[in-house]
Amino acid sequence: MHDDRSQPPLPSRPSPVPPPSGGAGGERGRWMSLRRRRSSLLLSARANMMRRLLTWLGSGTLLLITSSSAIVVLFIFYFIFRDALPFFQLRGLGEFLTSTGWYPTANPPEFGSLAIIFGSGIVTLGAIVLSVPLGVSAAVCLSDVLPFGARQAVKPVIEILAAIPSVAYGFFALVVFAPVLQDSGGRMLAICTWVIGLPVGALALLIIADLLAARVPVERRGLVRYLTLGSGGALVLIGVYALAQRLAVIEVVSGTNALNVSIILGIMALPTVVSVSEDALQAAGRELREGSYALGATRAETILRVVIPAAGSGILAAVILGVMRAIGETMVVWMASGNAAQVPEPWYNLLEPLRTLTATIAGDMGEADQVTGSARYHVLFAMALILLLISFSCNLASEWIVVRSRKKLGK
Amino acid sequence: MEAPSFELVVPDQREDVLESAPADNPHIRAEAFSVFYGTHEAVVKVTMNFPKGLVTAVIGPSGCGKSTLLRAINRMNDLIPGCRTGGQLIFGGENIYGPQVDVAALRQRIGMVFQKPNPFPKSVFDNVAYGPRILGAYDRSRLNEIVERSLQRAALWDEVKDRLGNNALGLSGGQQQRLCIARALAVDPDILLMDEPTSALDPRSTARIEDLIGELRGQYTIVIVTHNMQQAARVSDFTAFLYEGVLVEFGVTATLFTNPAEKQTEAYITGRFG
Amino acid sequence: MELGTRKLLDRSFTGFGFLSIFLMAASLLVILTPIFVRGFGAFVFQGTVEFRRMQHVLFERGDPDELAAEVAAAAEARAPVYRMLAEFDAELAEMGFLERREYEGPLQELRAALHELFGPAPGVPEPVMPRDKFGQTRWDRAQVKLHEVLYRVEYDYSDPTRMGVPVEVPRADDFAGTSLAQLFPYLQAHAEEMLHPRLTVYLQFLTDESQDAHFFGGIWPEVLGTFYLTLGAMLFALPMGVISAIYLVEYAGQGRMISFLRTCISTLAGVPSIVFALFGLAFFINTLRVTESKSVLAGSLTLAVLVLPTVIRASEEALRSVPGTYKEAALSLGAGKWRAIVSVILPASLPGILTGVVISMGRAAGETAPIIFTAAVSVGKAVDVLQLKFWEAFQQPTPALPWNIYNLATEHEAVDEIRHVQFGMVFTLVVLVLVLNATAIAMRARISKKLKG
Repeated sequence: MHDDRSQPPLPSRPSPVPPPSGGAGGERGRWMSLRRRRSSLLLSARANMMRRLLTWLGSGTLLLITSSSAIVVLFIFYFIFRDALPFFQLRGLGEFLTSTGWYPTANPPEFGSLAIIFGSGIVTLGAIVLSVPLGVSAAVCLSDVLPFGARQAVKPVIEILAAIPSVAYGFFALVVFAPVLQDSGGRMLAICTWVIGLPVGALALLIIADLLAARVPVERRGLVRYLTLGSGGALVLIGVYALAQRLAVIEVVSGTNALNVSIILGIMALPTVVSVSEDALQAAGRELREGSYALGATRAETILRVVIPAAGSGILAAVILGVMRAIGETMVVWMASGNAAQVPEPWYNLLEPLRTLTATIAGDMGEADQVTGSARYHVLFAMALILLLISFSCNLASEWIVVRSRKKLGK
Repeated sequence: MEAPSFELVVPDQREDVLESAPADNPHIRAEAFSVFYGTHEAVVKVTMNFPKGLVTAVIGPSGCGKSTLLRAINRMNDLIPGCRTGGQLIFGGENIYGPQVDVAALRQRIGMVFQKPNPFPKSVFDNVAYGPRILGAYDRSRLNEIVERSLQRAALWDEVKDRLGNNALGLSGGQQQRLCIARALAVDPDILLMDEPTSALDPRSTARIEDLIGELRGQYTIVIVTHNMQQAARVSDFTAFLYEGVLVEFGVTATLFTNPAEKQTEAYITGRFG
Repeated sequence: MELGTRKLLDRSFTGFGFLSIFLMAASLLVILTPIFVRGFGAFVFQGTVEFRRMQHVLFERGDPDELAAEVAAAAEARAPVYRMLAEFDAELAEMGFLERREYEGPLQELRAALHELFGPAPGVPEPVMPRDKFGQTRWDRAQVKLHEVLYRVEYDYSDPTRMGVPVEVPRADDFAGTSLAQLFPYLQAHAEEMLHPRLTVYLQFLTDESQDAHFFGGIWPEVLGTFYLTLGAMLFALPMGVISAIYLVEYAGQGRMISFLRTCISTLAGVPSIVFALFGLAFFINTLRVTESKSVLAGSLTLAVLVLPTVIRASEEALRSVPGTYKEAALSLGAGKWRAIVSVILPASLPGILTGVVISMGRAAGETAPIIFTAAVSVGKAVDVLQLKFWEAFQQPTPALPWNIYNLATEHEAVDEIRHVQFGMVFTLVVLVLVLNATAIAMRARISKKLKG
């Protein structure tokens, strides 16, 4: 036990009475002799007010800049609306929405846009029919089937597809795809019929055969199954063959048509659908899947019956976003749709050229700008207004869906 | 460096510290001080002194409000929306929650070290020089001097003097925490608040930092929050025991741990709850 | 359902999933391959003597002596052709009026086709337009033109159910029995000697200005224009976007106004690009009158508005990903809020912000619709920074890669002649965008590695 006084246990002990000037111990010199040093902690009333003023000004400026970023969209609405209104004042709503006669340069001009609106609708529908099944199943594959390494290899493919500029897609559609369609369109359709028809038909047959067999007492099951498969198989084969033959002889007059555009738009919408669906599927959670597997369901059944319904709103949001992408696309349709303002005969004939809202705006504005103030100029803004309203409502819908699903999951 | 000791050592050498009656020389004084999160009172009308130049430990079970109290001292609770206070916290003759207090100046004089070491993703030098630069020191030689002194005080200088330009995130956990201490010391504070500074560190780094606290004692007033009673006993001169926001007992460490006045304190120390 | 069927369905479901992914990859391949292959062909191709002659005359490249020797050799190889033509002219003069008329049409066609293949015949006065001064500069085009010299197309309308079927008729048949008939086998046999195809690496395709509506030369004005537009767009979008993100992350509360602002920003993200184009025209040019008509400035502003939501979103994400402990530490050292943000949080989030910026640059470079009415012109000199002051340069309209791809592919007078230029432009644009995206991805990978220690 040592003597405390002579050998202090700690390097620098405080003296029993600390010096009055706040600092304890001579060893530590003050090195920060700067303006705030040793001054009062209080701000003078003036300094305080200055500080409040500066803070208020500062955050006010930031708010102003942020608001400009946001309010630009209000400007967009305003300007489109402002320049669309004169058209409706001049020509009214009726002809615009119900007539298919689009002759803006004729005398007297006609502004029937029904065919054009129909064109936008058809190519969007085609794009969705292509991209949603493929996109959702690709998303399912990515989230549930592929191992991590393979997933990392597939992601760049999707990102590249998303990054390619639309004019490159349009160029491809016009210069590479259209001639191919024109030369061998019919044959390609026939091959597609075989490739899609046979597997789908076979699967459907198996399901039907099983369902029928289940209703029959055990002894007869085998017989029923063979009968169904046999007769159904023959039907499927004949049907697919007939359809393929019908399609093979079709002569594609012009490669720039609705089919071309639909396919390319579908490819362009795929990345959006895939990534948003994948997010939704991931968000459904592991526990959900494990519960289903534990009950003995196969992976397909788990995904189809449990995961996809749970992620349903997210997938719906993905579809809506895909619609937005397809309907707002300009360059592809401008270059490869044929630009004929007509409703094809029959309406589902995708091999005919047509025209969309976006292509009309892009194509006509060059000349219409010369006659600012005429109905021809304003009708383009009216079309832009339609596009704006559609994309706005799609946006709101998808956001509302996301918010609602988040609430449902309790997050 | 001595081997770290792991027994509940209550050194009787510290008795001489009692000569400076804490009540006469508080650096910070809490008077019926409360902290509210919304309607929940996390710190309930605490009245205590933090003696100048000494180490005060605040102990108690999880959720007892000790971190809240600590963070109230340098007004870090201001960052939490819905947080308000009652009573007074007196420092430098003023209530630091008064209307005209310069919070930045306050925080420069009351420094803080956090539970998980959080050096900036900058170089070692820039980490330590951050505070002085804010205060207006731009002269390179001045900064070199300050950085070297701070790192020496934090017992880190020898280990990083050749690596001042390296990214601070490359240091070990214990080194990062000492860097945070150096960074806090660089602005020359009067008080150092430490919020469970060693709970994320291994025993060796813990021991080094406890030694460091011992070295800094006397030059700085230190308030340390810890859930480790042995640590409180090792490093502090005074200890406050908080339970559910209420100050149950405050006293000289040696006394509080060997002969606590309150039954609750004794129950906590002997491990009957907490 | 039977277990066997269930398993089969499971397998086919998985198979369908794989098929979808395979189809995506396949379509990517199908789309990019022609672009890359034929686009590359704009830079590396078999160039003929006409190409080297053109380069010498229009761009002052190449060794004059070597070139003269080559031209002489080619002329020598072609001499028989013109001699045969001259002989046939003499033959024609001897013929009767009716007979002559039969040959005149095909002869004129033949002469025109030969002109396209070889350039002006010797002795003919120099044509005015550059495109007529030279023959085919590329061997692949030359072979097409050679085919046109050897064959002509007739339409067969005999089948009433189908449209006119194109049929190729050898021109030699038109001149059967005359001295000119030997011209065609000669051409076929000696085409290479007459044109001297050689592997050419034309890297200046990127830096040459185009001559005579892209018949010759390169795409420098378009490349420069795209560069300016992208830079200008980021010049406006970056500060606004980052500052807005700082406000939204650090200063904004949860009130109604803030969520209204957020809805506005996300609405902006969904506006179709052609609507941006009309907005740019109506607002920046017609209302604000930033410039009288199309200009880089108006185009940049429109593009900036287009990419703004992306920049804001990326910056917000980057700012939020910075650990909150940094801000705590900075504040506890006495820094004010703004100072803590600028000196600690912003530098820490910079890599993430930059990633978003690079991706936005890729988007701005590739967008066509917003610049149709606000900036892009089909033919024009490059925005010449050396001559004009920077500010004036911004007030000029400019060609740009996306717009000129469209223009050359659809509205150009000789669309088929300049396919290689179109592919070269698409190739350049796609490579540019992919490089930007790859950079962003690499940056993102480096960030996540750095944040982990």
